[in-house]
Amino acid sequence: MKKSKVVGMGVAAFVLMTTVLAGCSSSKEAEDTSSETSGEVVWWGWTPGSPTNEQYIAAFNKEYPDIKVTWKQTSIDAYDAALKPALANGKGVDAFEVSAGSGNGGIQVFGGQAIDLTDAVKKALGDDYKDKLNEASISTMTVNGHLKALGVGTVYSGNLWINQDLFDKYNVKIPTNLEEWKAANEIFEKNGIYGFVQGAGQGAFNIDTFHAIADNVSPGTFTKAARGEAEWTDGSIVKALELWKRLFDDGIMQEGALGLQQYPEANNLFMSQKAAMVMMGSWYTSNALPDTMKAAIESAASKAEPFTMIPINFPDIAGTGHTGSMFGDLDYSTAVSAKSSNIKAATTFAVWLGTSQSGQQIIADSLNVVPSLKSATPDWDNVKLVNPDKQNEPIKQYLANAMNSGDNPRFASINADMNQALMDVLAGVAGGSMTPESGAAQLAKTQADSE
Amino acid sequence: MNQSSKSTVMNGLPWILPAFVFVVGLIYYSIFYTFKLSTLDWNGLDPLQTSVGMSNYDKALNDWIFWKAIRNTAVFFVITFLIQNFLGFLFAAILHSNVKLATLHKCLIFIPTILAPATMAPVFRLLFSPQGMLQDVFDALHLGITVDWLARPDSALFVLMIVTIWQFTGMSFILYYAAMSQIDREMLEASHLDGAGKFRTLLSIVLPNCKSTTISLAMLGIIGSLKTFDVPYLITTGGPNHATEFLGTYIFRQGIRQSHLGYAAAISVMLLVLAICGAILVNRMNKGGDK
Repeated sequence: MKKSKVVGMGVAAFVLMTTVLAGCSSSKEAEDTSSETSGEVVWWGWTPGSPTNEQYIAAFNKEYPDIKVTWKQTSIDAYDAALKPALANGKGVDAFEVSAGSGNGGIQVFGGQAIDLTDAVKKALGDDYKDKLNEASISTMTVNGHLKALGVGTVYSGNLWINQDLFDKYNVKIPTNLEEWKAANEIFEKNGIYGFVQGAGQGAFNIDTFHAIADNVSPGTFTKAARGEAEWTDGSIVKALELWKRLFDDGIMQEGALGLQQYPEANNLFMSQKAAMVMMGSWYTSNALPDTMKAAIESAASKAEPFTMIPINFPDIAGTGHTGSMFGDLDYSTAVSAKSSNIKAATTFAVWLGTSQSGQQIIADSLNVVPSLKSATPDWDNVKLVNPDKQNEPIKQYLANAMNSGDNPRFASINADMNQALMDVLAGVAGGSMTPESGAAQLAKTQADSE
Repeated sequence: MNQSSKSTVMNGLPWILPAFVFVVGLIYYSIFYTFKLSTLDWNGLDPLQTSVGMSNYDKALNDWIFWKAIRNTAVFFVITFLIQNFLGFLFAAILHSNVKLATLHKCLIFIPTILAPATMAPVFRLLFSPQGMLQDVFDALHLGITVDWLARPDSALFVLMIVTIWQFTGMSFILYYAAMSQIDREMLEASHLDGAGKFRTLLSIVLPNCKSTTISLAMLGIIGSLKTFDVPYLITTGGPNHATEFLGTYIFRQGIRQSHLGYAAAISVMLLVLAICGAILVNRMNKGGDK
């Protein structure tokens, strides 16, 4: 064979391969082959997971039997890595979960791949749809004036959960300030149980705890700083960092906290009754349901019986009297891929899950998130808790308090760079490699750079 | 090359050409595409891609976390390479003597190598946790030691090294074992007749004859250290406060978590350059030694 012919074949093969590879990143939008009542929808997400998602799908199929929905779950940490190429490819993703701000599946990153759902939600709820939905489900999902996803429910944080049975057993006072918190920890530790436990190696939960401290020192300053309306070097933020450090120095945080993950380790310690207090938010409420708690206890490799857990305010460790602050975001929302070939069917599903009374009632009764539709609240006649006498009132009060927490977002105001900076600074201050002042300066610098 | 052999090459080329073009093309396409990405400010999804020239490289050179990752990689390579290969060499030498149940020992040493880090990571997290088995042992012995090593920036990296040494000593062992099998028995007998003891034979005869294996392990070690991702990601996620950050974990953090795909691509290109330089350096050292 002639040399020129071989070279020519090589070049042709190379060009062909390059074309094939270039074709892999095609951004062509597919033709919509579905209708509003029929189609096949692949729904990607990280929460709440099987079997809850299948229950949502079963309820949806009672109303829309010809739309087949397939739930595809990834872990929370792997979600962005898995979804990006899938969306870029345009195949196999019809509906997908997104979140507010800098969490995984952030709407600022993924919103560009989603269609505008404004007309669909107007059709479902009318022109006054904004009055019928939780404000955050609209505001945090709107990108450049387009409603890119519909909120399913909101989660709030800022409180502790305690094992009331352990508090009763050892006759421990529920802590309301730093001294009481230390005293409670000491009693539990004398009895071979951790008092408070936090997986401080998983940074997102550190931000929750720090936000609670900052709101305790000076309500609202954390949110203002995140929005660029106040300096991160503000005295109250530095004070909050000092108090954060004290949690480690004073033994509130258990030994080795910085090497522990909130999930599964801290969660497992609490669920197996080896720890009496944990910093978790409203998503933890579902563990007050006997079946959910049994599953959580089994996951923690424990044989303990379900116990009475109740939410309490974050202790007033700054001594300011500002307690009970809660902050929240949409836990997850449903977006519809602009490249899907089932846009109409996927839109029907997203609208049903985020705005219909039937869809939102299931969300409300699961106690996993606070529903977006204001008229959907848990049906307390049907929702049976582990210990209704001791849990019903505190949990009702807790959810009401959360829904009235006002304009205090959890991650929605924090971009990805600031999220990382907060995690770094909190770990650095806790570990002693950074002072509160230098940590605050680092936050201010990152904020300035990211703007 | 004469006319006949030239003709043979030209006749054989078309047969391997499709596979050759596909494999080499795929690799080089990916490298060039990564380089192109490294000149962009892009989150990986938006249609908007902003060209920023070489500023991502400049950013990396001024990024303390990038340098921390480089330092961690260097320390990690030196310590794991020395201990892993010392143990691998030692086990191989011992098992070349008359040891009872030699096959069982070989299996025990090699099994960790074939275990997936994803399987072992939760075990090690538990082992090195203040609520873990090691802590229980220390408590039972009243040693007063708290196993909070993963929580401390000065010790977390060493825990990762212990895990890596445990896992990959089997690989060093198997390669040294194979290399020792190739050594001429007469050479060993001659050294014995000359009065050399076992230790002297090991140092002066066996070790020099395993040089090419050591060089190969060094090259694999450098490239492996630069690519380290799974063990730190699964055990410490690069923390606390980047104390166990490696280039692989930092690329993932920047590219996926923070959606700075261009910056992550720039670090990837730098990683590639470092890997090539490392391989060339080891190769040159090898050739220099031969001369």
